Amino acid sequence: MTDTTLPQPTVSTRQPLFGRRYTLETRQQMAMHWQALVIGLALLFGLAICALILVGAGVPAQELLNEFVVQTLFDAQNLRAVLFQAAPMIMVGLAGCMAFRARFWNLGLEGQMIWGAIGATAISLFDIGPHALRLPLMMLTAMLCAMLWTLTPVLLKLHLKVNEIISTLMLNYIAANFLLHLVYGSWKDPRDNFPYSPPLQSFERLPDFLAGYNVAILMALVITAITLWFVGISRAGLYLRFVDANPRVAGAVGVPVRKMIVATVLLSGALAGLAGFVVTAGQEGRLTQSFYQGYGFSGILIAFLARNNPVAATVVALLIALLFVAGRNLQVFYQIPFSMVQLIQAILVICVASSDFFIRHRMRRIQAGDC
Amino acid sequence: MKQVNALQLSGINKSFDGFQALTDAHFTACWGEVHALLGENGAGKSSLMNIAAGLYAPETGSLMVDDNLVRLSGPRDASRYQIGMVHQHFKLVKPFTVAQNILLGLPAEPGSYRTRLQALEQQISAKAQELGFVLDPRQPVEQLSIAEQQRVEILKVLLAGARILILDEPTAVLTDQEAERLLSTVQTFAQQGAAVVLVTHKMADVKRFADRVTVMRGGKTIQTLNPQHVSVDELVRLTVGESAQAGYTPGPPAGPLRLQVRELRSPTGSGPLAGVNLSLHAGQIYGIAGVGGNGQGELANALMGLPQPTEGEIHLESFGDLRGASAEQRRELRIACIPADRYGAALAGSLSVVENFAIGQVHGGRYGSFWRLLGTRMRSDAAAAVQAFDVQGVRSLEQNAALLSGGNAQKLVIAREFSRDPQLVVVHSPSRGLDVRATQAVHARLRAARDSGAAVLVISEDLDEVLTLADRIGVMNSGRIVAEFEHPADRQAIGKAMVSHD
Repeated sequence: MTDTTLPQPTVSTRQPLFGRRYTLETRQQMAMHWQALVIGLALLFGLAICALILVGAGVPAQELLNEFVVQTLFDAQNLRAVLFQAAPMIMVGLAGCMAFRARFWNLGLEGQMIWGAIGATAISLFDIGPHALRLPLMMLTAMLCAMLWTLTPVLLKLHLKVNEIISTLMLNYIAANFLLHLVYGSWKDPRDNFPYSPPLQSFERLPDFLAGYNVAILMALVITAITLWFVGISRAGLYLRFVDANPRVAGAVGVPVRKMIVATVLLSGALAGLAGFVVTAGQEGRLTQSFYQGYGFSGILIAFLARNNPVAATVVALLIALLFVAGRNLQVFYQIPFSMVQLIQAILVICVASSDFFIRHRMRRIQAGDC
Repeated sequence: MKQVNALQLSGINKSFDGFQALTDAHFTACWGEVHALLGENGAGKSSLMNIAAGLYAPETGSLMVDDNLVRLSGPRDASRYQIGMVHQHFKLVKPFTVAQNILLGLPAEPGSYRTRLQALEQQISAKAQELGFVLDPRQPVEQLSIAEQQRVEILKVLLAGARILILDEPTAVLTDQEAERLLSTVQTFAQQGAAVVLVTHKMADVKRFADRVTVMRGGKTIQTLNPQHVSVDELVRLTVGESAQAGYTPGPPAGPLRLQVRELRSPTGSGPLAGVNLSLHAGQIYGIAGVGGNGQGELANALMGLPQPTEGEIHLESFGDLRGASAEQRRELRIACIPADRYGAALAGSLSVVENFAIGQVHGGRYGSFWRLLGTRMRSDAAAAVQAFDVQGVRSLEQNAALLSGGNAQKLVIAREFSRDPQLVVVHSPSRGLDVRATQAVHARLRAARDSGAAVLVISEDLDEVLTLADRIGVMNSGRIVAEFEHPADRQAIGKAMVSHD
């Protein structure tokens, strides 16, 4: 009899604790709603730790809820800021989800954002295309440039087995230095001495669809829908699940594994490029030297917390954006350093990562007196 | 006072993640006997013995050694009570020598590594001689054959002081001759006063070598009896609950030539294939017999389109060389592959039964265009296939394929692969790890494919399987087909070709 016929539990028996015994078993699967509950509880636990730290840092306990929820969500200005901040976050988060679903550890989200921004800015600088088509053209160029930037590591991985973790990460530095070369050099705004490009013209900037609400968040939601279709409804989604589950099996059952990996990773790059475009044409209004910083980490973090699920990624990205905006307010009102926001992020990640243990294992008490 | 029992398990219950593997199981082995534990796959034999070896903790029930109640906290604890288990899948460190592997499993003692190792090497040679086989303690394990590796495993538990020896399916990986030698060795060991538990599903082994047999079915121990007092038919009836009997059935006369393998070899130094030649006709089952490790795995990979560097040609009529065919082309050619490693090459364990079934036909557009998958149709087709191919244990179509037992996972693979009316079927070890009934079901499917005109190639290390299935048999030895036989073939002659070295 082979071991595959049964669920394979690995049991590590604990010493009796107050006369009881516990066993730890691995479980094969857990219903989705239970998983959500476990992750939710882990988040709550993490938030409780964060609350304690914030109180310790000098935020009055009774003000916490007020600062984080009431002030940020029910104040129109802050809500606009949250949504504004959320749009590129959602895009990099989805970019992470896509790449990770193809088992491609894309740590190059920042480099891809940079190339998206450079591509979009180039259209503006060289005044390409009629004004009415300027924004769509910038958008497409941003996606195309980022895709080309992603093509190298994915081809290197598939053909020469070059580890993409290293290649994408290193390419970030090349992109960042090229960006510096541009904004300190030929693309520098001649009117002043700061390292940024000339400002985009008004028709090159992302408009508001409602007073104060930028169209970027709508773009982000459309992209969420597209990725959801891609992984959940299209045939490619089924292929991708096989590639993710086991590439060898996928190849054996006729899934075009290489094509799927290339297509999905290019999609990931395009989404990151789009995020670069949104930051440039929405938030900054020009190419700046450090607009991308922090997004790479956030994208990976969002994808991880969301377990590569597009809808969950959108929700998590909104929460992270909320955290950022609330963090800025805390900075202003309580002189709490912004690094506190990073600390909170890190605590939440650790809590969710740890919750995996309870999804994969089951702890059971064995009645005392049994063998 | 009555005879002291070596090992006694009573009232054992054990469940895994909601699945009741053992229900009120009782088992008693006495000193001086070979006690067979007989049952189908999934009957709970291995689970029960893993409890005896301290790997699993039972939920209820008691374990007695020498009629004393004991509680095991792990395999090391079990070895303190002189219980040793040889698992079906060997747990050896490949690059280490025999002696190093055995030293690993021994408790720490004073003395330097070098002196202990030297002392151990002598002990190994002595023990091996006592049991009647030769083993060089300084040879790395990776250079040993499967049978020799098994001897290392047995020596490992014996030198750790085991007097209660549990062997889990020991003959599954051995040739007939090797199996016979092993079983007579353990018989001698029992006659010297030890207790041997032989976990098996082979009736012949039970009849010839066991003093007593306990039959298990569905997680329960059914009956303990003396195998000399019952017929094989009776034993089979007890294990499967019904009489199972099937032999070779001829099909229609073979049709035109369909597949020709010509001089297929591994590039120099990269594999064992050394010029395989064979021809396969439509409506024919060609069986490849041989001792494991003679290139069967590599041949199977090459035929199934799995990554495997080869030279030579695999010529499919009206297509050409299959080696260069893409996954898409192989699909269009209606080639069905049933690999030996189900979860490594055929099923994605973490995906659902529906997904694993539907992936077979999704490419052709049966489940909607590229833009939209038709979930309802996928589910209804999968449900129909699960029904038609008698895949059991599917509590929900959305459950992970990894939750299926070996036989049912195999049936799911067959259901998917045969849903496309194959013209060429390549099968590797189709019944490995399957019980009698599941094996018969799988064999029936292969015969049905042949009868409807497919060319079927069966690669199996189980000679009985090849003999019951194949119309034509090729024996694989050292990377080549060294002999071919038409049905009915002489078992002795095949066995000789399997082991001869020239």
